[in-house]
Amino acid sequence: MSGPGAPIDFAANARAALGDPFLQRALRTTLERFRELQAAVIAEVPQWQALRTQAHAIKLHTLGRLDRYLEELEAQVSARGGHVHWARDGAEAARIIARLARGRRVVKSKSMTSEEIRLNEALARAGCEVTETDLGEYLLQLAGEAPSHLIAPIVHRSKESIAELLSAAAGTPLPAEPERLTAAARILLRRRFLAAEVGITGANFAVAETGTVVLVENEGNIRLTTTIPRVHIALMGIEKVVPRLGDLAVFLTLLPRAATGQRMSSYVSLITGPRRPGEADGPEEFHLVLMDNGRTAIHADAVMREALACIRCGACLDVCPVFERAGGHAYESVYPGPIGAVLTPLFRGLVTAGDLPFASSLCGACGEVCPVKIDLPRLLLELRPRVVRARGAARWERMFLRGWSWVMRSPAALVSAGRLVRFTRRLLGPRPRWLPYPFSQWAASRDLPPAAPFAFRERWRR
Amino acid sequence: MRVALFVTCLVDQLFPHTGQAASDLLRRLGVAVEFPPAQTCCGQVAFNDGFWDEARPLARALVEAFDHADAVVAPSGSCAAMVREFYPVLLRDDPGWAARARQVGRRTYELTEFLVDVLGVDEVGARFPYRVAYHPSCHGLRALGLREQPLRLLRHVRELDLRTLQGAEECCGFGGMFAVKFAALSAAMLETKIAAIEESAAEFVTATDVSCLMHIDGGLRRRGSSVRAVHIAEILAAQ
Amino acid sequence: MSARDDILGRLRRAGFTAGVPQVPAGEAGAVGGTVPAPVDRFIERARAAGVEVTRVAEFATLAEQVRETLAAAGARTAVIWESELLRPVEDALRRSDVRITDDPSQADAGITMAEAAVAETGTLVLGAGPGRARGVSLIPPLHIAVLPEDLIVSTLFDLFPRLEGLPSALSFITGPSRTADIEHTPVRGAHGPIAVSVFLVRI
Repeated sequence: MSGPGAPIDFAANARAALGDPFLQRALRTTLERFRELQAAVIAEVPQWQALRTQAHAIKLHTLGRLDRYLEELEAQVSARGGHVHWARDGAEAARIIARLARGRRVVKSKSMTSEEIRLNEALARAGCEVTETDLGEYLLQLAGEAPSHLIAPIVHRSKESIAELLSAAAGTPLPAEPERLTAAARILLRRRFLAAEVGITGANFAVAETGTVVLVENEGNIRLTTTIPRVHIALMGIEKVVPRLGDLAVFLTLLPRAATGQRMSSYVSLITGPRRPGEADGPEEFHLVLMDNGRTAIHADAVMREALACIRCGACLDVCPVFERAGGHAYESVYPGPIGAVLTPLFRGLVTAGDLPFASSLCGACGEVCPVKIDLPRLLLELRPRVVRARGAARWERMFLRGWSWVMRSPAALVSAGRLVRFTRRLLGPRPRWLPYPFSQWAASRDLPPAAPFAFRERWRR
Repeated sequence: MRVALFVTCLVDQLFPHTGQAASDLLRRLGVAVEFPPAQTCCGQVAFNDGFWDEARPLARALVEAFDHADAVVAPSGSCAAMVREFYPVLLRDDPGWAARARQVGRRTYELTEFLVDVLGVDEVGARFPYRVAYHPSCHGLRALGLREQPLRLLRHVRELDLRTLQGAEECCGFGGMFAVKFAALSAAMLETKIAAIEESAAEFVTATDVSCLMHIDGGLRRRGSSVRAVHIAEILAAQ
Repeated sequence: MSARDDILGRLRRAGFTAGVPQVPAGEAGAVGGTVPAPVDRFIERARAAGVEVTRVAEFATLAEQVRETLAAAGARTAVIWESELLRPVEDALRRSDVRITDDPSQADAGITMAEAAVAETGTLVLGAGPGRARGVSLIPPLHIAVLPEDLIVSTLFDLFPRLEGLPSALSFITGPSRTADIEHTPVRGAHGPIAVSVFLVRI
């Protein structure tokens, strides 16, 4: 990821999001729809829980032998005439790709990894004309904005504002109707596809056994990106490798259902090397860039390693009550939602992203839906003491919890404290006009709990 | 059958009626109940907020207070989960304590799971002639797998009209320190929960955790709602 | 040290995690499950995914049915894969007023066969090769695929063991292209074909 940066103030970002009624409605409607669709197609798969377990096992197994599988992948890709490049960090990956694409017309498909490394900026500096081809990403490119959801990147914008963007690009006024807007984008982007010299994609999976890169999509822009240009470059985090072709049956059953609530995405492309002799289309050159960029550090962390099992489906975002209200931009990260709250502190540092693991009530909904059974609630929890050690805590928080701990060490102290609290509550009433921070935060939206007349243990009869 | 009541700090000091209902109920069902007086707090508020050093002494103290018991019953899904699921995590650097904690954890139950899974009862002789919405507190639901037990018990309560709660399994927004550190989000989640409660036309909302309930009740009262929160133990003890 | 050595070195030093289960290749299929009537299921699921499916009773009528579909869609130009199975279709079209081109970007329709299909999801499987350009099922707005019924398998778990060697590009196609990026409104027809029509044949 690009450097640490200023600490993310999630509470402030969330407050801003809560004050945006369009965003709140858009998030609510989109996520409700996603959840409905996902639940329906998942219910059709009676073996769903077994598949989750299996996917988790495959991923953890692969991570346990990641060096060997990467070597196998490299050998297979090379045997098919592809080129494999290794990049320690984002800057290196961007350099490699910029060198390969220098000065050319580039079409790109949606890739979180490319956003991690700010690839478009590097390509622009290398004199490339870059077009994002995924509709949402294309619109974001026109608007100069960052995506706000892994799967629905432009959920935060209305169709009217999108019509404005496309009308400007098309040079002709377009109505705020999704079908007409999509048709207009199809025409605009088709020209770019046909003129493109380099196609850059990410990779959902890479099969070590066969040297196959797997790309999943609905729009067809990835197929066009990997068919028309002479050169195809796939950028991939090292954790995306799976051992065998057959393993794809597990992941391709889980991913579309968990991501978009489809039985299968419109297209899955299994790419094994560049075009072969006698073929009329397909790239002449295939490059696979294997990128670390902080992944080996997570890999070396016994507790956090399973975060690398993520298949980027976005299901955890869709069930997270915090994400539903705060939206993706609040995380100030390429990866939002529960998985983002785990990866971002690991990639960018506990001080920069320390708020994120705390921005959760630990409800556990994310862990329940993760198709590869990452124990997200546990990872969020495990990050919290690390953040406290790394950046400390607010003074009131330290005092409060140390005080709590001190009181709770003896029943006598608890009894005294309890009496004090009940007494104070009787004095204050349910809605005191003023309370010290943080109790003021409670009282802003809630009455204080009723004043209990006695403590339980005082009246305990043996 | 003999159980040690782990009443929990909030119930002990702020919601004594819940503790009384729990112990009355257990006694009515023929269970001998003791209250180990050394108990204070399971420490989850500090643990969940990343203050593991502050939580550890509380965990050790609680384990020691309940070491001797055949069964530990708590009217709280989150406190039972803390002991059973998270004490081994908190104490993992000290194998001796971790082992003791595991022993206690194996014998620790949330109240409704104790009634249904251990005592094997779902009809407890209760009567509560009101419309009631049930909110499944998250830790109980997901950390302990408490899906069926509270509902089975509620369905057998005479004259209780169990209302459907939309989005029941969505978090109420309490989350310990989350409620004050991310108060705007907490309040927004509470608003959704309260809207669902009001839509259900319930007169009472119940749950296995007073933490959720005091947060929900606080919001209901702030709105001037006549709906009241009541812990499930009090419903099950009502006659 | 090269980036490769650096990365592999770190991974090796992190070590193998004890207790991680081995996952033998064959096991994956055991979890999949089978479908009782795969052809019927394929038709149902493909239609649900927005594919037009026609069951061709007599193979001899295939060419005429394809020609009619092209006419109904107003398709005047077509690009077609080179294949034994499609030869009668190609011949019939050449005799008709449909212009056959070898440039998909000039074509209103692309005609391919499918080398397999998955019933559970209504998915077509197409492999690229000489005479089987990727663009034919991708660039024209209408994609027509001829699928022999006996090539339909139940689930993905049954598909992978059947694949003998991998082409440079293997495409799983489930319906037309689509997007829901704009206010989460589903729109059929994004960058790939806007319509897909499958002819199920028995040979």
